Amino acid sequence: MHDESSIERAIARALRPGRRLSRRRFLRDSGRGAIVAGSALSLPAILAACGIGPAGSTAGSAAPSASNKVVGGGEPAGTLNFANWPLYIDQDDNGKSETLRMFTEATGIEVNYDEKIEDNQSFFGIIQPALAAGEDTGYDLMVITDWLVGNMLRLGFLEEFDVATSVPNFVANAAPKYHDPVYDPDNRHSVPWQSGLTAMAYNPALVSEEITSLKQLFDPAFIEKYSGKIGMFTEMRDTMNLTLLYLGVDPAKATVADAERARDVLMAQAPYVRGYYGNDFAQGLADGSLAITMAWSGDIFQLQFDNPDLKLVVPEEGAILWVDNMTIPKGAQHPNDALAMMDFVYQPEIAAQITEYVNYICPVPAAQEVIRQHAEEADNQDDADYLNAVADSELVFPSEDMLSRTYSYKVLDEDEERQWNELFGEVVQG
Amino acid sequence: MGWLRRHRSIIPYLFLLPGGLWLIVFFVLPLLTTLSVSLQEGSLGSGYRLTFNFAIFPESIMRWNEQFVRSLQYGLIVTILTMLIGYPMAYTIAFRGGRYKSALLLLVIMPFFTSFIIRTISWKFILADEGFVLGTLKDWGVLDPSFRLLATPMAVISGITYNFLPFVVLPLYVALERIDPKLIEAANDLYATRRQAFLKVTLPLSMPGVFAASLLSFIPAVGDYLNAELLGSRQTTMIGNVIQRLFLVNNDYPQASALSLVLMVGILVSIFIYMRVLRGQELGT
Amino acid sequence: MTSAATTAPRSDAPPVRRASLATTLGRLILPVYTGLVVLYMLLPILVMAAFGFNDTEGRFNFVWHGFTLENWLNVFSRYPALNEALINSLIVATVSTVLATTLGVLMGLALTRYEFRGRGPLNLLIFLPIATPEIVLGASLLALFVSAEISRNLTTIIIAHIMFNLSYVVVTVRARFAAFDRSLEEAAMDLGADEWTTFRKVTFPLIFPGIMAAALLAFALSIDDFVITQFTSGQTSTFPLWVYGASRIGVPPQVNVMGTIIFLIALVGMGLWVLVQRRDRLRSAPGATDR
Repeated sequence: MHDESSIERAIARALRPGRRLSRRRFLRDSGRGAIVAGSALSLPAILAACGIGPAGSTAGSAAPSASNKVVGGGEPAGTLNFANWPLYIDQDDNGKSETLRMFTEATGIEVNYDEKIEDNQSFFGIIQPALAAGEDTGYDLMVITDWLVGNMLRLGFLEEFDVATSVPNFVANAAPKYHDPVYDPDNRHSVPWQSGLTAMAYNPALVSEEITSLKQLFDPAFIEKYSGKIGMFTEMRDTMNLTLLYLGVDPAKATVADAERARDVLMAQAPYVRGYYGNDFAQGLADGSLAITMAWSGDIFQLQFDNPDLKLVVPEEGAILWVDNMTIPKGAQHPNDALAMMDFVYQPEIAAQITEYVNYICPVPAAQEVIRQHAEEADNQDDADYLNAVADSELVFPSEDMLSRTYSYKVLDEDEERQWNELFGEVVQG
Repeated sequence: MGWLRRHRSIIPYLFLLPGGLWLIVFFVLPLLTTLSVSLQEGSLGSGYRLTFNFAIFPESIMRWNEQFVRSLQYGLIVTILTMLIGYPMAYTIAFRGGRYKSALLLLVIMPFFTSFIIRTISWKFILADEGFVLGTLKDWGVLDPSFRLLATPMAVISGITYNFLPFVVLPLYVALERIDPKLIEAANDLYATRRQAFLKVTLPLSMPGVFAASLLSFIPAVGDYLNAELLGSRQTTMIGNVIQRLFLVNNDYPQASALSLVLMVGILVSIFIYMRVLRGQELGT
Repeated sequence: MTSAATTAPRSDAPPVRRASLATTLGRLILPVYTGLVVLYMLLPILVMAAFGFNDTEGRFNFVWHGFTLENWLNVFSRYPALNEALINSLIVATVSTVLATTLGVLMGLALTRYEFRGRGPLNLLIFLPIATPEIVLGASLLALFVSAEISRNLTTIIIAHIMFNLSYVVVTVRARFAAFDRSLEEAAMDLGADEWTTFRKVTFPLIFPGIMAAALLAFALSIDDFVITQFTSGQTSTFPLWVYGASRIGVPPQVNVMGTIIFLIALVGMGLWVLVQRRDRLRSAPGATDR
């Protein structure tokens, strides 16, 4: 298993020069069903044909072996069914996405863009039955958070692709932090769409000290003063992983015993906590109901338009970097079109266009310069100020130092997930 | 028509057929699946096996005892509150509404057109700790600076009451509207006081509506979870929140299904006791 | 024609007894109280309407930044997916209300006007869906659709909505049907009306307010349903689903505007309804009742 993936990597590396040209030729050839054995690039296809597909060889994979092959390397079909979260792509005043329009213009692929994902878990609940039955979910590309990528990978629900050949712009343009993530080694099934931090935030009008450390969120002696004004998250992963950082544990290496300690810490903190919030924490912070709270960076960036004093803190102990990823569900009808989209949005110009609108952490550092340039070209001062605010914000383009202090969620196997959920259930529901 | 007249006894079955079939196919059938799931063991990844694990029922009740009791409590309080608020209102619309009856009824259900997210955001805005209501009262020194409404049991109960008030007003209105005002006038003519006329004539005649209305608020209130989630705190967790978490977060389908069934049975038992209390009141008739 | 029109003058008529100051005040208590409750019901809508005019700075709509009409000008163009979701919601609510009310009224009639066997189990069948947590209804329906390989779309949402609305309709209409005075029908029959005419002229007008109330309830339940819809919607979105999803990033003020517009349409509809009724009554006055 290990050997196969290193062979793959070696081949991919060897073939990198001239990649684009030959890839295009390959696409054309295979589209006509021509014999492509002579082309080294068709190796994945041959491996798959011989039943030695490199597929879900990551730890604990329960992928159904029949469909264990790499997608991509074919001609796009001309249609892309794209499931995303609402308001998660650029939109002009007429609700049209310039990115999608340019994509269709450049590739000829029509996009059925569906703002269907309201929540990871419930979206998974919606597509899970089809996946379990080995059927097409109706989507070719979907944006899901890293831990769900890990889960679906374990269940064999994601198509594998060769990121080096199919998404070359990712390889070239993504920040180093996004390569080879713990939840999907070598990006075999996912590339980031947007990301953000799970950290903490506070309202200086209600808090007399400067907040710098997770101790100020968890230590009962400190938070007693702010009892009933402390907010935590209802998402198990966010809260448990951040608590682990407080305990000095790297989440990736956390054991169940560590999770139990985290539960104990959270139980001790619970009497002072106002509530366990989802997205609605933002309203609480905005209206003064919350003084110190766990927070998502993108929301704080937005809230600062309402109240510039609000502060996001990447605690001394670290923060969680969550990543929403583009993935291809198993059995997708148009995988080549999905890969074309993945590659397309990793052009700095396109990444900048999306980031200017959604303001999450952009996985393409080069987009920062593009946005600055857009600010210079802007027709009015308002737009220029806004674009500069986006380009200059550490919440959109975090410094290397900031990123270096971030950790990923622990990828939980099924038993761990059940145990962690039960532990956390005691915290939020008594 | 002629055939029907000769076979009159078949008419009720014809009337019941479409609705009954609908409920059997889209409710009973899925519910049986739920029952079978509750008796299975296993997990999402490795699959489930039917093991007739009946122990899950007592275990679930023991584990979530506190949340069950709380849900029943809240359901009871909400039912009483909605009845106290809703009855006079339905009475006014039915007897004094005149030509504004339909208009007033429509106003009662208007909030539903705005999506619960927007309503909740609005309520949170109105009742925020430092918002214009509480903030002002705190500035005047009427309230303690640490006073809050949100994230308390009171907030959850008021939220559910607000949500289910229309469910109470509509059936009460339906029951009251059909009472012939002449009966009340007759009582008045017989020198009954308004109070007596109400207690002896109006209230007894509206009992079917009271019964239907109390069920329509009690049942959904006990199973509600959105209000507790959005307006509550750890101390207001209801059984609906537990079921929701088990279903959607923990993916523990057997446990979630078992709890759901326990909740249903609990509700049915409460209704049965309630019916016995309102003796002679057969289900809604 | 409508019973509202015929009962209204009766209830408006002052009581025969002398009206003292105390009773005059007493008569005011209920309308004032009702007004206050309606205000309480509508308070969140007023806040919502106000924030539809907010000149938001970021993507959140929590803090007032100033007045703008922009959200009103682009309400139907800014988020095409939101339009689609709203249209879907209206379709689902209308179709499921009509069908659930029809099926429910038939069941209500059977339950209250006819003798048949199996009444007990039937009562249980009608009550259980109300007693079942929404999430269970949703999850178990999803299991059914998946195992029967029914792809989920607008139709499956409507099927689900009819299912949960049906019981509410039956429970609401039954209270009215149960106490229906059969002697009125018998009188009509004695006067030579056939069964259908009796139903049209006597029975239906008398049960109509109950049916209306049930339909209103069904419509309200359907248009704001989130939980069951989420499970049965497949790739289709509805207004509550879209707004819930948007709340992760910030509900745009256009959603407030849409809510306000729907509210205004309902308000205008109510006004027209009242006017039409007044005109009808003026036309048929004085004392020109058919009975």
